[in-house]
Amino acid sequence: MRFTTAAALLYLRLTTAKGWFASRLRRLKQPKYLVGAVVGVAYIYFFFFRNLTRNRMPRASDAPAAPPPETFEIIPDVAAAALLLTIAINWIVPRGRAGLMFSEAEIAFLFPAPVRRSALIHYRLLSTLGGLALTALFLTLVSGGWASAGVSAWLRGLAWWVMLGTLSLHFTATSFVVTRLLDRGVSSLARVGAGLVVLVLAIGVPLVWTLTALPTPTQQDFAGAPAIARYVETALDSGPLPWLLAIPRLVTAPLFAGDARAFVQTLPFAILVLAAHYAWVLLSAVSFEEASIAKAEKRATRLAALRSGNLRTTATKRIRDPFRLRDAGRPEIAFLWKNLLAMGRPFRPQSALVGAAIVAAAAFWLSSAGLRGGQVLLTVAGGVVLVVVLLLGPQFARHDLRSDLKNADILKTYPLAGTQLVFGEMLAPIAVLSTIAWLALLAVTLGSAATDVPPVVRAGAALAVAIGTPFICALQLVVHNAIALTFPAWVQSVSNPGEHGLDVLGQRLVFLAGQVLLFALGLLPAAIGGGVTFFVASWLSEPVLGAVLALLVALTVLGVEIWAGVRWLGGRFARFDLSAELRP
Amino acid sequence: MIEVTALSKVFGSFTAVRDLSFAVRPGEVLGLVGPNGAGKTTTLRAIAGIIPPTTGQVRLAGHDLAAEPLAAKRALAFFTDEPRLFDYLTVRQHLNFVARLYAVADHEAIARPLLEELEIADRLDSLPAELSRGMKQKLAIACGLLHSPQVLLFDEPLTGLDPLGIRRMKDSILKRARAGASIILSSHLLHLLEEVCSHVLILKRGEKIADGTIAEIRARFGNGDDKANLEDVFIRATGGSER
Repeated sequence: MRFTTAAALLYLRLTTAKGWFASRLRRLKQPKYLVGAVVGVAYIYFFFFRNLTRNRMPRASDAPAAPPPETFEIIPDVAAAALLLTIAINWIVPRGRAGLMFSEAEIAFLFPAPVRRSALIHYRLLSTLGGLALTALFLTLVSGGWASAGVSAWLRGLAWWVMLGTLSLHFTATSFVVTRLLDRGVSSLARVGAGLVVLVLAIGVPLVWTLTALPTPTQQDFAGAPAIARYVETALDSGPLPWLLAIPRLVTAPLFAGDARAFVQTLPFAILVLAAHYAWVLLSAVSFEEASIAKAEKRATRLAALRSGNLRTTATKRIRDPFRLRDAGRPEIAFLWKNLLAMGRPFRPQSALVGAAIVAAAAFWLSSAGLRGGQVLLTVAGGVVLVVVLLLGPQFARHDLRSDLKNADILKTYPLAGTQLVFGEMLAPIAVLSTIAWLALLAVTLGSAATDVPPVVRAGAALAVAIGTPFICALQLVVHNAIALTFPAWVQSVSNPGEHGLDVLGQRLVFLAGQVLLFALGLLPAAIGGGVTFFVASWLSEPVLGAVLALLVALTVLGVEIWAGVRWLGGRFARFDLSAELRP
Repeated sequence: MIEVTALSKVFGSFTAVRDLSFAVRPGEVLGLVGPNGAGKTTTLRAIAGIIPPTTGQVRLAGHDLAAEPLAAKRALAFFTDEPRLFDYLTVRQHLNFVARLYAVADHEAIARPLLEELEIADRLDSLPAELSRGMKQKLAIACGLLHSPQVLLFDEPLTGLDPLGIRRMKDSILKRARAGASIILSSHLLHLLEEVCSHVLILKRGEKIADGTIAEIRARFGNGDDKANLEDVFIRATGGSER
């Protein structure tokens, strides 16, 4: 790379990094980012930073979860094996042409510029290695709790960086090799045959050798963590594995060096492997430009989609109408129809019926075959799904106002009251979450037939939960949409997976806490009303009557809360000034 | 009929539109022109009910937008410069959705000639991702025209259209005006406005500099040149700068 070119590229990289950092600092002037940054820094400090200075072997008194020393000793070997497995999968999994990850601007300016191809590759590889420093820093923080003794956090960070860099360069080199094979016409029968032979020799033989050489585990090998650790250690020393793991062990060794001396002894070998990979990429340079352009466009489209609130880039498969939408009728149903379409093929009324039939058939089969364990498993699985859907579902089922805020200007031209629009937008997530919860509830109810709980009680409880489910989902959706409409600019950055940084991490934590708190406050009146009704009615009459009345009271309170929430949201949406709310 | 009275829109300390009043009668096409940042889009968005005006009144087809928003919006179609479509709905599903919102009975019979006029009748089952930008624009227009609006607002409607598409769009706008619609057209393409518009309103820094028929505007800013084109008139009226 000529000096002038290198200087220009270095200037680009440094000014980009400086600009990124300055923009991050500048936006701290906005309270939403400042508050987020404070919370994010506090979180990182309390959960990770204290670990950074804890450079010692975990002691038995540390925590019940701390691994025993025998287990800790095999971690380096397991890490090397994981690295080997990752590399092997990378070779086996099919891939397209090699492409380096340039941005669209870099392609527009650098590709037509009088810059050597090798300079472009150097630039990209060094940029990638530089970017991995942040990932290495993060992993250093996270791994603070279980890292080995005697090595400072900075050295551990360097070890992480070397390992990640080697892996990244290996992936790039792999893609270059595959592209070279493709360019040489690997698709011909002869090449495919040769490829298969290479595949068998390079992967199949070592795999079979390894599998045959592995000692057969006995029951004693699973008698606690130390026994498992000993077995794993023996297994990793059998067959060709010591040979296959030789280079991965060189790469991971600095990370698990016991002290500074061991680190200094192992680091040069790891760096040597890294340098060899770098040279490999340079020597196997292929035509990467087209694939790089395609990658950049795909990335830009994805980023644009994420910024506008979509997790998927663009729809490419048309989906049949979930149901027939007539021209006349309540407009809210049009939003249910539209959002079900947006959710995709599985979310159709027919799918729910098929799901129910499968759950019922499975429960019937388990019951008739006398598989009690299977019934318990079905009950537990259903229960877990039910809890997850009820508590976390609204966080992920975002096909309501949250995903349509980007279309707010068009939605506001529709001849609809704000309340109609908000309620219509919420219908699809309510319907989908309720349906999934009902299916899970069906599994719990049918699976628990093996228990001693009387059928009447099981059916009654299931009915109560089934009726309450849409109310619980709706209440949470009101909270989520209220937050989205009250803090649209916050939500824009919080819900964008492309946004990173301590400030955004802090924003997400603040949001999560706010959502949980509001949901709990929303449930409180219903719980108090239902509880009081139950005790009074049970005292005056039968507990069954008390339970029924309590359910009715709780649902009424929830219904009123939801109705008031939707009314408020409707008014808020009608007054919502998008241009003012989302002005930078 | 579009009636705008003393409309102002303020963002913090910045006044985007100041004390703007004008009217567009049925059959008239008003060209909204001005330098970048003059307040054209803000004006259109306030008239469409997308952003609430800080002060002033907007009446669409006789309905006060603030007091009777639903009735006013039933008479309205707003076409943004960038077609805003739902990613997961096909052309047919877009029309179906809009028909339900506006309660358009037998929408398929209305949509068919509309789609043929806009030349997208053969793309009924296409998703937005499968359409060119021009076709997306046409779909947005078909959705807007489905309920036969009396008030049409166009913000840079020709962006992304090919020459034939531009010709068809001009014809389509004039056809709606002849049918009695009140139309506002915001564009930087002054020759287009000259061909299509009956009236012109010039904005600068959020304030109205002039409005009237094209002949009146030409007479006022043409320096006695009866043949001065709208571009010359515009440059003279705005002083040849944005500020």
